[in-house]
Amino acid sequence: MTEFLTARTCSELRELAPTGQLLAGGTDLLVQMRSGRVVRRLIDISNLQDGPPAVEREDGRVRISALASLTTVVHELAGALPGLAASVRLFGSEQIRNRATIGGNLANASPAADTLPPLAAAGAMATLNGSAGTRVLPVADLALGPGRTALRTGEWIETIDLPLPAGDEGFRKLGGRQAMAISVASLAWRWRCDDDGRLHDVALALGAVAPRVIRATDAEAELEGRLPVADVVDRAVGALGSQISPIDDVRASAWYRRAVAGALLREALVIRTPQRRSPGSAVEATWTSA
Amino acid sequence: MKVNGNLVHPVDQAQRLLTFLRDDLALTGAKEGCGMGECGACTVLVDGRAVCSCLILVGQVDRADVVTAEGLSGSGYAALQEAFAANHASQCGYCTPGMVVSAAGLLHRVADPDDEAVREALAGNLCRCTGYASIVKAVQEAARRVPGREGAS
Repeated sequence: MTEFLTARTCSELRELAPTGQLLAGGTDLLVQMRSGRVVRRLIDISNLQDGPPAVEREDGRVRISALASLTTVVHELAGALPGLAASVRLFGSEQIRNRATIGGNLANASPAADTLPPLAAAGAMATLNGSAGTRVLPVADLALGPGRTALRTGEWIETIDLPLPAGDEGFRKLGGRQAMAISVASLAWRWRCDDDGRLHDVALALGAVAPRVIRATDAEAELEGRLPVADVVDRAVGALGSQISPIDDVRASAWYRRAVAGALLREALVIRTPQRRSPGSAVEATWTSA
Repeated sequence: MKVNGNLVHPVDQAQRLLTFLRDDLALTGAKEGCGMGECGACTVLVDGRAVCSCLILVGQVDRADVVTAEGLSGSGYAALQEAFAANHASQCGYCTPGMVVSAAGLLHRVADPDDEAVREALAGNLCRCTGYASIVKAVQEAARRVPGREGAS
């Protein structure tokens, strides 16, 4: 039988965290336990009373409590962080979003975790807390592989901190249906278009095509400072291949994921940049992202 | 914890809320369709928000207000029941309690949801019988009739 304890304060959490498995929204953890994962002791942190505020804004940056529900994230930040908001709106269902937390999505470390690509594209930083005090890690470095994180024993994620986008940001995923779908492949982007249409500060992050979220730095380099015209787009899409390592699984094959990753980038560049925007095109009509 | 307005005292903090509601409180509206948060048949409101009771342990909601389908009848949501009946939004009935609770969660927040808003709010509730159109129509009809809203009787 699984033991159940509650940490209502941060000092209780500090004491209990090394002794069991933290439980926040539980929307994946409880499913894993139903499928056979053995957890001897659960430490519920969903009712932590003296944690940081859900969302704080200061100086062009946003700090989100790890315990903020996804519903809270999208309500508070839809305007300010459209890429993250898009990933959350497409996440699970209303019921899942009302319980799942942004910190939980990071700590669960699924390769298909949907909040990871927009956070990685934004260069988000995670503040961790534990018996050895606090430390800061890039969110993109939190997951080491499927289900494994850089969290030490007794450590938890306290807040996620990221800058507001200077230009555009977005997120798109491909899944088996419009909701409640684990991503087959996903892409988050941030860039700034200058008056001539050239892209600057390009950040591209892909999910579900590697054991962890991938910053497509080679593709970013192909785009940096350039107009996203046909041959530039082709080179950027071509540069994705060597940095992703998709697998065959029940949802999709590796070659399909590879093709989809390229298509996601191509369409983002074609549709989401002023240079190539083609309003009324068939592709634009099928978009369901932000 | 309050369930439908009544204080309750569950014994086993690690028990699933769904099991507690069904087995200990005989509130069998919430159903175990999948046990994994995918189908929504177990949907209840916790502090006004639709959640899957199969993915909540009782200890996590020991200070919360839980409302099940049974608890909706007296709270102005008769319009939802009537609209479901009038629009044939229920066939086998298995998804219906979860659908109605999710709809109630939506109508708490959005006075006049459009088609897309209803479908998004109910995206976590699966129905194998109706094809959803009658359900969406019922929710929109009920929205117009909830007391206090424009056009309500």
